[in-house]
Amino acid sequence: MGGSVNAHLRRTFYLFAAGFAGLVMVLVYWQVYSREALANNPENGFQTQRSVSSPRGLILAGDGETVLAKSVKRPTPTGPVYDRVYPLGEPFANVVGYWSTRYGATGIEIGNNSDLSAIVGEPETLDDLINRATGGPQPGNNVILTLDPELQELAYQELSSSSTGRGAVVALNPKTGEILAMATAPSFDPNQVNENYPELANAPNAPLVDRAAQSLYPPGSIFKVITAAAALEAGVSPQQRFFDSGAYVLPGYTVENFEGKDYGEVTFTRALAYSINVVFAKIAVEIVGAEALTQMALNFGFGDPYDDFPLPVSGSSVNSLPPEQWTTGTLAQTAFGQGEAQTNAFEMAVVAGAVANDGKIMEPRIVREVRSPDGIILNKPTPSVRRQALPPATADTLNVMMQEVVIQGGFTEAQIPGMKVAGKTGTAESGNGPPHSWWITFAPADDPEIAMCVMIENGGRADRSAMPLAASLMKAYLEDGI
Amino acid sequence: MILALLVTTLGFATLIFVQEAASPPLAYGAYYAGTLFVLYLGVRLLLPHSDVLLVPIVTLLTGLGLVMIFRLTYNVEGSQELALTQAVWILIGSGAMFLVVLFFRNYDRLFDYKYLLAIAAVFLIASTFTPLGYSVNGARLWVDLGPVNFQPSEFARIALVIFFAGYLAEKRDVMAATSRTFLGIQLPAIKYFGPVALVWAASLGLLVFEKDLGSSLLFFAVPLLMLYAATGRTAYVLLGGVLFSLGSFVAFLLFEHVQLRVQSWLDPWRDPDGTGFQILQSIFNIADGGLLGTGLGAGFAQTIPEVETDFVFSAIASELGLLGATAVLLAFLAFTYRGIKIALLAEDDASKLLAYGLTAMFAIQTLIIVGGVTKTIPLTGITLPFVSYGGSSVVGNFILTGLLLLVSERAGRREAEGLVYRDDPWGAP
Repeated sequence: MGGSVNAHLRRTFYLFAAGFAGLVMVLVYWQVYSREALANNPENGFQTQRSVSSPRGLILAGDGETVLAKSVKRPTPTGPVYDRVYPLGEPFANVVGYWSTRYGATGIEIGNNSDLSAIVGEPETLDDLINRATGGPQPGNNVILTLDPELQELAYQELSSSSTGRGAVVALNPKTGEILAMATAPSFDPNQVNENYPELANAPNAPLVDRAAQSLYPPGSIFKVITAAAALEAGVSPQQRFFDSGAYVLPGYTVENFEGKDYGEVTFTRALAYSINVVFAKIAVEIVGAEALTQMALNFGFGDPYDDFPLPVSGSSVNSLPPEQWTTGTLAQTAFGQGEAQTNAFEMAVVAGAVANDGKIMEPRIVREVRSPDGIILNKPTPSVRRQALPPATADTLNVMMQEVVIQGGFTEAQIPGMKVAGKTGTAESGNGPPHSWWITFAPADDPEIAMCVMIENGGRADRSAMPLAASLMKAYLEDGI
Repeated sequence: MILALLVTTLGFATLIFVQEAASPPLAYGAYYAGTLFVLYLGVRLLLPHSDVLLVPIVTLLTGLGLVMIFRLTYNVEGSQELALTQAVWILIGSGAMFLVVLFFRNYDRLFDYKYLLAIAAVFLIASTFTPLGYSVNGARLWVDLGPVNFQPSEFARIALVIFFAGYLAEKRDVMAATSRTFLGIQLPAIKYFGPVALVWAASLGLLVFEKDLGSSLLFFAVPLLMLYAATGRTAYVLLGGVLFSLGSFVAFLLFEHVQLRVQSWLDPWRDPDGTGFQILQSIFNIADGGLLGTGLGAGFAQTIPEVETDFVFSAIASELGLLGATAVLLAFLAFTYRGIKIALLAEDDASKLLAYGLTAMFAIQTLIIVGGVTKTIPLTGITLPFVSYGGSSVVGNFILTGLLLLVSERAGRREAEGLVYRDDPWGAP
C-alpha cells in the first residue's frame, strides 16, 4: 500500500523539480538573454540612476595632470550622488562635452562613455573584480586626451578676442596624428548646462556648435593646396610659367583675382604664393580636370566623416554633383575653393599635416590612453597611417611651395625666427557678411612638429586675422615650449 | 548549520561595510544566531532521529531574508525597523516550532480532531469578514487582535493540510474504488468525496471573495495533489484542471482585479507607470543583476513597490545575480526534497500525506511567487517562505517545519530501532 503512495509522491516531486528548473531557465532568459534589451528600454531608468550614483572616470589633458572633468560626491537623503564638474570650463567644452541626466551628453563624455562610466562589460583589474563582488563603489576609467592644455586655453582666448569672436583652431602633430588643440568660440560653461541649456540651444551665435569639426564653411584659397597637389601629380612643375591677364573667361562664368589684380607671367610657385585665382582656374580646367581634382580632395579626406574619431566630424564636400557632370565654371570655381566646396578647421589641419608628413595622413587621435582608477593602462592606441594622400616626392615639392608662400608672399607675421614655416592663406567669400579668414600652416617645415588650421568666421583678410592668431599660437608652442 | 550562520553574517558585514550604514544593534544579531542555534540543538536533542538538514536550510533562508529586508529598508523613512521586527518574528516562529516539537510528539492525535480543525480553518479564514478584519491593498486578509495583526490564512492552510491528510488516509481505499462513471470519467461516491469537496469549496470560496489570489491558488493545488497522492487517480487531476480553467475564467469575468492582474502580466507595457509598473520594475531589476549580480546594496530593487514582502526574490536576483538566485532556488528545492523524503519514509498513510501536503504547499508557494515576480505566470500576492517580510508567514512556516520534523523523527526512530529493513525509497516502487 505504502509503495504505491510513494510512487505518486516521487512523481510529483519530479514535477516540483521541473518547476524549479523552469524558473532557473526563466531567470537565464531575463538575466542573460534579454538583459541588454531591458537595460536600454526607455522605461528603465537604472542607467541614468547608476550614472549619478557612482563616480565616472576623470578626463585629463595631454600632460596627464590637468583635470578637465571629474565626479564630485554629494550626500543626499537617498545615498550619495555624484555631480560632474569641469574645472576649466569653456575652453575645453567642445572636446570634453557635458554629461547631463536631463539633456544627454556630448563630446568625450559620450564618445568614450563606455570607458568613463562605471561597470560596463567584464572586470578588467583585480581591484575592479573585488569591488564588484562586494558591491563597493566602482568608479569609471580615466581618459587621458592628447590636448596640450596651455595651447588649447591660449587658442580659445585668442579666438574669443578675435574681431568677430567666432572661429576655430585645430592643431595636430603631423607625425603621430595627435590633436594638440581643438578650440572653438564662442563656447559654453559645461558646469551650467542643466540650468542654461534651452538658452544655449537657442542662442543666435550657436555656442553649443563645435565650429572646429561640426560646421562647414567654404574653404577659399586654402583649397589651392589640394588643387596644387593635383596639378603636380598631373605633371605641372613648380617652375612652370603661366600668364595671368587678370581674368579667365569661361562659358557663363569669368574668373577674376582677389581684389581685381593681374600679375602677368608667373611661375606656378608664385601663383600659389600670390594665390592667383586665374592661374589655378586655368590649370584645373586645362590640365587637371574635374575627376582628378575631386579624387585628390577625397585622398586628403574630403567626404570622410572620421567615424573612428570619438567626436562628431562633419565630412567635407567638394560638390553635390559627381565630377563628370560639372561645367567648366564649376571646375574653375572649385579650383580656388569657392562654389560648393565646404570644409572645416579639422579637415584642413589634416590636409596641412598630410603635406607636412610626406603625404601620409596619420589617424587623427584625441585620446592618448585609457587608465583604470589605479593607473593601469587599459588602452593606448599607437600612431597609425590612415592613408597615403599623395606620393612623398609630390608632398615634399608642395611643402617647399608652401614655404615660398610665407617667403614670396611676404607674410613676415607668419615667420618664426630660425625656422622654416609653410602655409597657405584663404579668404573665402561667405555670401553672408565679410569673408571667412583661413590660414593653414606647419613648422618647422623640414621636420614638422605641429600643423594647424585657423578659421575666423567673417574675419576678413587671412593675413590680418587668421594668420597672426595662428602665428602667436605657433610661436607659443614651438618657442616657449608650452 | 554553522555555514548558514556564516553566510548571513557575511551578508550583513558586506552591507554595513558598503553602505556605511549604521549597524543594527549587534545584540539582536547575537540573539538571532543564538536562538536558531539553540533551536537546532534542542531539535537534535528532542528529536535525535529527525531530518538534520531542515533547520539549517531554514536558518539560511531566514538569515538571507533578514539581510535583504535590512538592505531594502534601513534607509527608508518609516520602515528602518522592519528587519528588527522580522527578527522578532523569527524568534516567535522558533518558539512556536519548539512548542510544536515539544507538545505534539504524538501528532496522530491531531488527526482525531481533523473535522474540528477543518471547521476552525474555515472560521479562521472567515474571521476577516468580522469587524476585526481589515484590508491591505484591496485584499481582505488581515485580522486585528489588539496588539497583534495577523493573516489567518497562513495558519488555516496548515490546519487544512492536517484535515485532508487525516481524512484521505482514512478513506483512500474507498475513494480510489469507483462506483459510477460520468462522461467516461470514473467518479467516486459522493458520500466519501463530499466532506473533502465541501471543505475545499468553502475555503476556496472565502479566499476568492477576500481577493487573495495567491492563497486561492495554493488552496486549490495542494488538496488536489494530496488527492492524487492518496488515490493515484489521474482523473482527479484532470477534473481539477478542468475545474481550475473554469474557475479562473469565471473569476476573470467576475472580478476586475483578476482582469487587471492578467492584463499586466500579458502586456505590462500598456501602462508602464500604472498597472504594469510593479512587474516591469521587477523585470528590470532582475535583468540588471545579470550573471553575478550588482553586489549587495548596489542594485535599485527599492524601486519595486512591496519589495520586502512579495518581491524579495527580485531583489535577490538583482543583487546576487543569476548564480545567487539559482542558489536560493536550490535551497528551496533541497527543503522540498527533504520534505518528500520524509513523506516517503513515513510509516502510515496519514503521516505520509501530512508530510507530503506540507511540503507540496511549501514548494508550490515558492513556485507561485517566484513565477509571479519573474513574469512566468500572472502575479499573485503571496510571500516567499522564510525570506519575505511577514510575521504570520514566518511563524506559519516554522510550525510547518516543526510538523515535518515530527514525522521524520518517527520514521527515523523506527529505522534506528531496526524494526524495518527499508528499501531505498527512491528505487523502483
